[in-house]
Amino acid sequence: MIAKPAYCIIMTQLPMTLDSIALSSYTVKEESLPTPAASTAGYLPAESLNPDSDESLLTKVGGQQCKAAFNTLFDRFANRIFAHGMKITRNEQLSKDLVQEAMLIVWQKAPLYDISKGNAQSWIFTITRNRCFDILRKLKRQPNFVSADDIWSGESSEIESCNIAENDFIDVEFVQIKKFLLQLPAAQQAVVEQIYLYDKTHEEAAAILQIPLGTLKSRLRLAMGKMRQLIGTEND
Amino acid sequence: MISEAKFHPSTELLQEFAAGTLSAGLNIAISAHVEFCELCRHKTSEFEAKATIDWLQTPENHSSSDYSDMIVKIVSQPQQNNMEQQDSSLSEIHMLDHSVSLPKVLAKAASNGLVWKKLGGGIKQAQLSIDDETQCEFIYMTPGSQTPAHKHQGSEITLVLDGGFSDELGEYNRSDFIMRTNKDVHQPRSDEGCLCFAVLDSPLTFTKGIARLLNPINNYRFRRSKSLRTI
Repeated sequence: MIAKPAYCIIMTQLPMTLDSIALSSYTVKEESLPTPAASTAGYLPAESLNPDSDESLLTKVGGQQCKAAFNTLFDRFANRIFAHGMKITRNEQLSKDLVQEAMLIVWQKAPLYDISKGNAQSWIFTITRNRCFDILRKLKRQPNFVSADDIWSGESSEIESCNIAENDFIDVEFVQIKKFLLQLPAAQQAVVEQIYLYDKTHEEAAAILQIPLGTLKSRLRLAMGKMRQLIGTEND
Repeated sequence: MISEAKFHPSTELLQEFAAGTLSAGLNIAISAHVEFCELCRHKTSEFEAKATIDWLQTPENHSSSDYSDMIVKIVSQPQQNNMEQQDSSLSEIHMLDHSVSLPKVLAKAASNGLVWKKLGGGIKQAQLSIDDETQCEFIYMTPGSQTPAHKHQGSEITLVLDGGFSDELGEYNRSDFIMRTNKDVHQPRSDEGCLCFAVLDSPLTFTKGIARLLNPINNYRFRRSKSLRTI
């Protein structure tokens, strides 16, 4: 379990409005994400899986060197791997090389695939991503003493499960900006929040805060002047 | 590795890290932080799941090729039945006057040897040649040192590997991942001494005093080191 980062302790002393902004903006981004727990918790032992699922096929390739199962997986994934290659390298030959290298690893490492650690698609995706990184570095003749497997050494599988509250994780940039924001008078803070955190138009913000548009604009101008001063952009 | 990082990569950076769309220099800095930080390891695996879904949803790109020969070749290869021995411990390396345990990826990146240069003010720098998009370097701040105030034309990522430093915005210790953009002017100082890994996507611009004279030099050095690498 992770100790709470120190800034979270500081944040509990901040006005509630700002805290709730940080949390809500982060939570929205996260809603569409399946957690690893959600994507693996439903898995049953291999033999009770749909025999046509990617996981069953991969398990057959690994356990029985089943060429038919590999053929099916190849048909399902080759074009996707090719598409990833085109997206990153924009080169047809390299993308074909990527299909060959990635599917070769799928074949070779299939006996090591462990269904309890994640679905077959993620497993194949990380292989594709890593091979693509190495192919691109070779192409650019970049020093190859650091390979994809050094960078993503966990390969998404060696993660101990842990529960982390969403509010433990807040963008550094936001923490910094917030520090300056909190030094503004409350009326100016409210205006900056509406415009820059909630993305409201000047008119909408004025309506929400129930102040005349002119007042809002002058508060915003004062606030931004003060923020610039605090952040200390010393253009010389 | 127990570590309580206070500063982490942004959500966007971690997402791109998981999706594999960043430059090698940024990947290395994030990978090293992720090795320190359980929270970001967890986030990375979530974002890998999300990147997989995005990948499965992108329209397939059909190449005209016939893959049957390729399949025959692949299935004639032997399979791998044993996990490769992955050394999960940090590598201890000697840097300047003391030894520091580095995240694996950085130990690997530094394995060809480092050439340290004195930058003045008690700051030493060892550049690594990683890719064409970034300038990667180890920075060592001797105890009591202070860098000249500077800002960045692009962005600078600093990962603290040993010791700690502070600037106008905070205090940073081992495993902290700090990103500065071109809006920030800062003047880092270190009382206890500090080893960092830094990734810059363009040269520093010093904003105060005599160090401003360095600006044309830094610009020149950056362009030169970039052009040398592309040859």
